[in-house]
Amino acid sequence: MLKYNRLALIAILVCLILSGCAVSRDTNQIEAYNQFAIRAAQAQLWNEAVFRWKQVIDVDPEDSKAYNNIGVAYEALGKIDEAVAAYQRATELEPDNKYYRLNYRRCRIHIRRSGVDDEDTLQSEEEESPIGE
Amino acid sequence: MRIVKKIGILLATLTFCGCSTAVTRVSIPVKIQSEIDITRYSNFAVLPFVNERQSEHNEELPLEVGEDIAATLRRGLARQKRFEVIGSQETTRLLTGEDLGEEWLADTKHLSQLGEYFEVKGVIVGSFRFYSDSRPRRYYGERYSIQRQRYVMDYQDYMQKTYLLSLRVMIIDVETEKVIWDESYRRSTAEAHTIGSFIFSQAGPQANTVRELGRRAVTEFTRQISPHYEQEDRYLVK
Repeated sequence: MLKYNRLALIAILVCLILSGCAVSRDTNQIEAYNQFAIRAAQAQLWNEAVFRWKQVIDVDPEDSKAYNNIGVAYEALGKIDEAVAAYQRATELEPDNKYYRLNYRRCRIHIRRSGVDDEDTLQSEEEESPIGE
Repeated sequence: MRIVKKIGILLATLTFCGCSTAVTRVSIPVKIQSEIDITRYSNFAVLPFVNERQSEHNEELPLEVGEDIAATLRRGLARQKRFEVIGSQETTRLLTGEDLGEEWLADTKHLSQLGEYFEVKGVIVGSFRFYSDSRPRRYYGERYSIQRQRYVMDYQDYMQKTYLLSLRVMIIDVETEKVIWDESYRRSTAEAHTIGSFIFSQAGPQANTVRELGRRAVTEFTRQISPHYEQEDRYLVK
């Protein structure tokens, strides 16, 4: 009986260690992709950066950082609709992050300044958004 | 007890470090649209700028300064692919016999007639005011006194001469005879003078200064009416 208990304990420990390793490996991978993408973005290689952040999102679809960063990249590439969607997702995932809010707000100001035809769309976006002006 | 305190400080520091978000600031290009309807106003005639004579402080300037400012504006607009501008020679040729004066600016009907003659959608006209302001200034610094064997406070008097240019730019819609743009651009520059150089500067030519200030003002106007890219900061989160 004691032997089985000990075996069970060891099995649980092994499971925990393995699951911990898996999580850590994913985290490391995400970190590595993110760092690489940031370096690419700093070198103005926005398409490469987008590709990396998409990989991050594939690994962890709830990664708010990746959504924010990919939003910046889309904005730099002139894909404003995609940028807005990404910023929106980032702020949904982490509403209190001031950097996400700042980026999103600047993007919307830019849209307003550049005179987007469908002002109604923009207004509805603002109403839906969790961010206050 | 001390060790506990130290551990506490270390833990607090580590906690705060962990709580902060590491960000990288990057600049991205954002497109800034023209402040006028560029689909409608695609070609312009730029008429010579006139010197506002009623102002008492206005400096005496050669007549061609207004034409020089207009030529700078023509060159700036011609570089934009969306705009077509009537060239300087053609403008001079077509304006032969016209009296250039301040009364032009109010007569939008006549300006739009000229625009029809030039076959353009918009006529750019304007005026400028150039004046200088001189004030005595004192510069405080330190010098080494051999007598006292230390640095002592010292000052030097000089004349600061500030040149100011106020450029008014208007765009007249040829079809409707309405003023669609009326803005003033102020630019200034300052020089430090001793008494000798100040007297010389009062008598010397100032056309180059007004041309340079005019170029800066015209650049600002061109930027406003043409679509361009500006750099804006965004934050990437690590």
